Amino acid sequence: MLSLPTPSLYQASKCFVTHGVMSHLDPNQPPSKSKPWSTLTSQDFVNRADLIVPQEAYDAIHAKLVEGRRAPEFKRVVMSLHDILTSEFFVEYIKKGDILMLSEGRRDIDNVFSLESGILALFLDKEAYERAGLVGKPHGVKGRRGLKPRWIVQLDLTNPSMSRGHKGFDRLVYASKNALNASTVWLFCNMASTTPDPDPLSQHFPSGYTCNPRVMRDVSVIIPPLNPQLDSTILGPIEDFESFATEIYEWLSLVRLQSPRIQLGDQIDPYLCRYQIPGPSEQGSKICKISWQGFISPSWAREILVDVISALPSKTWFSFSTTTFSKGMAGDNSECTILRPPGSPGEYIMWEVKAHE
Amino acid sequence: MEAKGKKDQSVAAALLARAHTPDEANRIFTEKIQHRPLFLTPSSPPPSDARAARQREREKKKQQRKKALKPKPLSAAQRRKLGLYDVPREGQKYALFEPLHNLWLGYIREILGGEIYTGGEGAAAKLTSADYHGAGVEVVRSGCVSRVGIKGIVVKDSKFAFDIVTKKNTLKLVPKEGTVFRFEVPAVDARGGSRAPGAEDAKGAAAATPEQHETDRPQNMVFEIHGDQFQFRSADRANKKFRVHFSKKL
Repeated sequence: MLSLPTPSLYQASKCFVTHGVMSHLDPNQPPSKSKPWSTLTSQDFVNRADLIVPQEAYDAIHAKLVEGRRAPEFKRVVMSLHDILTSEFFVEYIKKGDILMLSEGRRDIDNVFSLESGILALFLDKEAYERAGLVGKPHGVKGRRGLKPRWIVQLDLTNPSMSRGHKGFDRLVYASKNALNASTVWLFCNMASTTPDPDPLSQHFPSGYTCNPRVMRDVSVIIPPLNPQLDSTILGPIEDFESFATEIYEWLSLVRLQSPRIQLGDQIDPYLCRYQIPGPSEQGSKICKISWQGFISPSWAREILVDVISALPSKTWFSFSTTTFSKGMAGDNSECTILRPPGSPGEYIMWEVKAHE
Repeated sequence: MEAKGKKDQSVAAALLARAHTPDEANRIFTEKIQHRPLFLTPSSPPPSDARAARQREREKKKQQRKKALKPKPLSAAQRRKLGLYDVPREGQKYALFEPLHNLWLGYIREILGGEIYTGGEGAAAKLTSADYHGAGVEVVRSGCVSRVGIKGIVVKDSKFAFDIVTKKNTLKLVPKEGTVFRFEVPAVDARGGSRAPGAEDAKGAAAATPEQHETDRPQNMVFEIHGDQFQFRSADRANKKFRVHFSKKL
């Protein structure tokens, strides 16, 4: 039987730019509902976080973030879904604790499981869904489901009815014994500050990792003007802001990539690279970049942002960006970049890149 | 005809006048439209005399009596109304059907003979023509996900569904469409040693796999049946040849 390859639908990621003013920050009550903060917390699992500050502010930042804070830790463990749902692990970590877990694979191709704030999400293909027997919703682009529909099953494990003896939980355990019984590699992050004493995770022999911050200091670069000029009369205000935002985002990305194009004294043949730093300045200044990479919770990212704002003098500019794990087949990830321009304390520009999946 | 106003009359006449000569148009209009005969009971036979009517009555009565003597199967509505094929509430007990289940196990072992250890196409052919009343079944995969996990003894094997009584003494009707059923037959004498090679998907309807759990426990033959291909009454299945069908749903 001839089987033509199923057509795949690729949609490019979209970038949303917000220019606003942050309300005054109270360190005891970190904000969560207003714009830059809600976007940070709406990300599910953070893979990479980068912070770019001018070199003058480095000492303050270093003291507060690198020395003052414990680096986030995560573990990599081989378990099956059944192990998670039974035994002490379930009681200690899921019912009483607060954890994040993500299993290996890509959501459009493999069966991926994720656990976030007590909600277990199973991304299943057709056969696994039909064998599991759990009720779920269709997942994927509506028009392209065709012969191979995919499904997503979401269950709230912190609900008191999710315990042994109840029908819904028993069905989930049955599914984990029959259809979803493969043991996969999981990334595990404990967001609570304490670990239970006989650690139920240790019987599965996890390997622990620490996301130590990597610091790059004294990088001489040419900095473009970082203040959005909104009262220009040459172009209309919207196009002007759009071009400004694009150029600054490009520059920030090049800094994160440690590209030599932005460094002072870079002589590249214009045949090979036509990039030019926007703005007239030719003098360099020094900046430093701190980056974390691993399996990090978005609440940690929010805390870092609060620390940065409180540690830095209010006129200093900084840029903080977080990237999530990629989800779909195309491998695009979503990202959130926040820039505070120099000289204006509450103002911020936020680029939110949303992958299609 | 008088209900139509003068305007409509002129429309019909005007159209006819376009196609025919005026005399023809007039004739057609009066004969076929204006004075068209309306038969009230068009197919009624010509009025007959009383004798013919009585004769017809007698014939009709004779036919009906003959028909009533011939035994006819019940229609689906009649069956449902009479409730003849329902299992009564007291009868929906798992313990009542366990002896039947043991009988079925003996029957299947007898049919399969040595092939219970090897599986394969021969076993599959025998299994497709076997009768499944009293079989221990578990629903393993289904397009309707709430059916997955139903486990019990088959009480009725009808054309499109299985009636299964579960351990909790409930009767469940599971349609065969889009559902995969798994049956397990433990072989009586625990023959240690050679484990047969894996399953062959024979004839599209059944896939047979022998399973050996441990050397001291008896072997189990486990096979799955795709309900889509199995939608026949058990009596009709006995002589049916099953062919491999490509299934869009899998």
